[in-house]
Amino acid sequence: MSIETAITPKYKIKEPKGLSTRIRWLRDYYFKGVERKWNNEFSPWTTGTPWDVQFDEIAFHIVPETYAFLQTFRSSMHQAAHLVKLHEDFWKWNLPERRAWFVKEVMVNYLPQEIFPGDLIAGARFNIQASKCWTKEEAKARDGLIYGKNGARTKVKWFHDHGYGNAGPTSGHVIPGYERALKIGFKGIYADLEARYNALPKGEKEGPKGAQLRAMMIAAAIPRDLAKKYADLCRDLSKKEEDQQRKKELIQMAKNLDRVPWEPPQTFWEAVQALWLDHMLIMSDEGYPGPGVSFGRVDQYLFPYWEYSIAQGMDREFGKEILKCFWVHANTAYDAMIKVGGNQGITAGYGQLLNISGMGKDGKDMTNDLTYAILEVIDEMTPILEPKPNVRLHRNTPDELLDKIIDMISSSQGAPFLLNFDERSMAGMMREAKRAHCEHLINEENVYDYAAVGCLENTMVGNDRSGTVDNNLNLLKAVELAITGGKDLIEFVDPITGKKEKIGQDGPSTGDATKFRSWDEFWRAYEEQTRYIVRKCVEVFDTSEAIRAKFCPTPYLSCLVKGCAEKGLDITKGGPELFFTTVEGVTFATTVDSLLAIKYLVYDKKECTMEELIQALKDNWTGHDVLKAKAKNRAPKYGRDDSKADEMAGKVMDLWADQTWEYKAESTNRQFRPGMLSWNYWVSDGYIMAASADGRPKGQFLSNAICPSNGADTGGPTANANSVGKVMGGKAQDGRGDWGEYLSNLPNGASHTITFNPSLLRDPEHKEKFKAFLRGYDENGGSSIQINMLDADMLRDAQEHPQNYRNLLVRVTGYNAYFASIGRELQDEIIARESHNRY
Amino acid sequence: MRQAINKNEEILAATVLNIQRMSTEDGPGIRTTVFFKGCPLNCTWCHNPESISIKPQVQWVETKCIGCKTCVDVCPDNALTSSQEGIKINRDLCNGCGTCSEECPSTAMEMLGKKWNLDDLLDEAEKDRAYFKNSGGGITVSGGEPTMQASFVAAFLEGCNKRGLHTTLDTCGMCTTKVLDMLLPYTDMVLYDLKEIDSGRHKKFTRYSNEKILENVIYIREYIKTHKRPYTLWIRTPIIPDATATLKNIRGIGGFIAKNLNHTVSRWELCSFNNLCRDKYLRLGIDWSFKDYELLIKEFMEHLTEVAKDSGVDPKIVHWTGATRVEEEDSTTPDDGGHKLHLVKGCNIA
Repeated sequence: MSIETAITPKYKIKEPKGLSTRIRWLRDYYFKGVERKWNNEFSPWTTGTPWDVQFDEIAFHIVPETYAFLQTFRSSMHQAAHLVKLHEDFWKWNLPERRAWFVKEVMVNYLPQEIFPGDLIAGARFNIQASKCWTKEEAKARDGLIYGKNGARTKVKWFHDHGYGNAGPTSGHVIPGYERALKIGFKGIYADLEARYNALPKGEKEGPKGAQLRAMMIAAAIPRDLAKKYADLCRDLSKKEEDQQRKKELIQMAKNLDRVPWEPPQTFWEAVQALWLDHMLIMSDEGYPGPGVSFGRVDQYLFPYWEYSIAQGMDREFGKEILKCFWVHANTAYDAMIKVGGNQGITAGYGQLLNISGMGKDGKDMTNDLTYAILEVIDEMTPILEPKPNVRLHRNTPDELLDKIIDMISSSQGAPFLLNFDERSMAGMMREAKRAHCEHLINEENVYDYAAVGCLENTMVGNDRSGTVDNNLNLLKAVELAITGGKDLIEFVDPITGKKEKIGQDGPSTGDATKFRSWDEFWRAYEEQTRYIVRKCVEVFDTSEAIRAKFCPTPYLSCLVKGCAEKGLDITKGGPELFFTTVEGVTFATTVDSLLAIKYLVYDKKECTMEELIQALKDNWTGHDVLKAKAKNRAPKYGRDDSKADEMAGKVMDLWADQTWEYKAESTNRQFRPGMLSWNYWVSDGYIMAASADGRPKGQFLSNAICPSNGADTGGPTANANSVGKVMGGKAQDGRGDWGEYLSNLPNGASHTITFNPSLLRDPEHKEKFKAFLRGYDENGGSSIQINMLDADMLRDAQEHPQNYRNLLVRVTGYNAYFASIGRELQDEIIARESHNRY
Repeated sequence: MRQAINKNEEILAATVLNIQRMSTEDGPGIRTTVFFKGCPLNCTWCHNPESISIKPQVQWVETKCIGCKTCVDVCPDNALTSSQEGIKINRDLCNGCGTCSEECPSTAMEMLGKKWNLDDLLDEAEKDRAYFKNSGGGITVSGGEPTMQASFVAAFLEGCNKRGLHTTLDTCGMCTTKVLDMLLPYTDMVLYDLKEIDSGRHKKFTRYSNEKILENVIYIREYIKTHKRPYTLWIRTPIIPDATATLKNIRGIGGFIAKNLNHTVSRWELCSFNNLCRDKYLRLGIDWSFKDYELLIKEFMEHLTEVAKDSGVDPKIVHWTGATRVEEEDSTTPDDGGHKLHLVKGCNIA
């Protein structure tokens, strides 16, 4: 990346290396952003009806920053939309068919096709906002369910404003069946759909099942027709091309596109070409770029093609060149709102995740040459945001792989990938099988083929949509409600209108906390309030889940997820064999630490009465410095490997995780499951949630995912990791855990970030020590870690001189962001963490 | 020299300054290091001045203080006063009872030295077993000087042995052979300090001459020969500007190792001076003669390492560790050159 500035940054940051002229040009061009002649900004398309809608706000209900703009997005997309000439029978079709046809028409016949100079992969524009293709009645019915007093928008806004969190079914967050799509080609997928359709009894053909299968058949032809357009374009370009080498490449690209994705690929080049088109069309279909549409175990299912081409004489470096083009393409997802600019989350880290390495059958390690080639690509391309890599580690991970990844960590500002730990992750998946009674789909024989979505959210592959960021619940709210007996502690004031809302009895009346005589009484109130907030979350989610299921089919995506064709049911309606929605517990450590503080201050040490504590919280700790200091410093904390504190953490975990299994969404029968990822909510919701008993005033950050509270992990990284592993379930004493001796409460897994000082990796001897840390983490820790290697001074310098650090990547909770592009508060938070870890 | 007092109560509890987990600097692999309080030596450069006295001591940590003066109110000996500069501790009046630290809401009054009983300490030692396993790591007893609480430390090392944890004794060597006899049977590895080869200078820097220390390391050599344990002996030399950081000293220690410890010592570590303890001295109210010294520069440590390798020892055993100055790419700070000059001078490189 070229930094156009006269000043040299004070500290050296990772630069890409070893890139060919081709890739360097593509990469630099990509980073030119809006200055590019070409970009992949959203383009809206309309059926031409006055009631038409392009922008689906439900996908954004989990992004509270957008609430104020939902209406604007909707109207501006509608206003800017280009008209598509409709098929004469269009309005006679069912909604899924209309939608499939419309997306196909836009992608094949309206959206321009482009090939970048030197690019080896075709498939440029894909960010579209296609019409939802609603009839007037449908549009009206749907709007009625969104707006109004009991509408989905009102519900989620209330939920957010009152500090509970947010919920709603969002797009992406799935690992499609790419392996199958490559093996049988879209031709095979189409043939399967056709056979299923033809086998339907006449009545069903005319019903919703028939309509769905017809829609999926239309959608299954998009890759074929689009590939043809691109093949033609490559041929045209090849004719004009004077450079003989490039001419040959363009002709080969055309030949590739003649075959794939319709026919199964043979060569590696064809396979990567097919994979890219298959993948990008999902983002077109959903009208939502990137988020969590993940690739699964690419080094496994692409390996046969890699081996074939290497055997046929493909230069290994050329194979990597193909992958690097693929890398650049994945990043163009970010163009969607390129003119809006990025701040705190909206464009920071879309999470087209890929997994490499990991366990196979009987504990065997699956690392292969492609694993290493991909790591080299990451190393040479970094810093770049997408696709996000996740390296799976386990007991039999070879030293060679660990050496490579530790070298990469030491030369970047932290790991350019997330690390997933197979044993704990698989324990979570096995727990899920038991809790949701799907042992026939997840069991010892296939659980090792799990993969991560988005950042680290574990699911099965090709038949599983687990809505991994659909529900983000602030567990801390239950502590507040236990203190108040079911009411908000402070009244909500609308930040725009300044209007105050009267405090109501929202949760169950669990009694006057000042009258509780023992900690146990308080705990029981907390249990009751936890049950309430989970139930409330389920309710908010179900409202919008029902709307999406009814009005927003995604037939193309449905072609790639097993169960949809079999059931003749769209993915949004419950087609997938495995259909979960995940409640991500946010504010875990703040919750635990608050409970520990209440127990310590009020019941164990009697440092204050409950009245005094409540007053301090209402006063946002102002004027209660001594009590606040005691809460912060004297009360025990989670994350120090302190068995008593961690026992409390374990109780909190068991309680809320258990509650999530109690529910299924009424509308789609979707089972809720627990996980712990906080995205950036722990920052923003810190401004919404009242002061907490752990000594945190309103306006200060909450804890992130499963990490201990900021600064609480005074025992260092091993103590921190041990605490995390323990609360996830630890290991079974008798060796009979969920997987092996490992136990896990969280099938989704948990996000854990640990920051290390770079000095830890200063020489080979210390790198060996770090390797031992990772192997120890596999035994004792959680399901996943993000390793940061940053220095606070460097970050402060970057904060003062962002222009010098435009490509400085930081990673929080597995979401990557350019440090200079994130908000000041989050920057401060990252710096605070760094300072704490200074040696 | 203080002698370890062999009393039952000392076996049951010891005064521990700190327990550092995931230590990567106290022996092989990832280690949990237990710093015992109390040291017979009194090195002028000591990086852990709070570890010298075996008595618990209280210190005031300014950055944590909220200024509530609870400590002043609760002190039974009226040893604390509050002033513009913060809390002042009258060390003549303070008897180390710890009441202030128990009552301080923000933990700004910190008690240095905590009683640990054997079982709890063993449980603590075991917590990072998973990290030790793959790294050849384990437990290090350090200080202060662990030999000063020998009965407890022996019981602790024995307990670690029973639990299959690798044990390392980090010692300055200033103890009786009887104490070594108590500890060595349970010790897998010894980290042994040879700070200064010239006995007069040793006395000047540390309060004691080095004869006993040199004698003890030879005793350990013999012990290893007859008992086949400890398995490993490392020598460590602190590289202190204007003190031990002389070529003569390095050559002298090297010569001693070559003559007496060849084939017994598998590593000789030169540990570069660390100035991060500056504020520890401030908090303890001690004027530190090294307060104005910067970290050493990397080139100097590399040069000394070369000298060490040339001193007659097997060059493969010589390593240097520790932090050196961060060299900024564009040195714009005006006093940079001056510091470098000072360092070079202080280190007697010329």
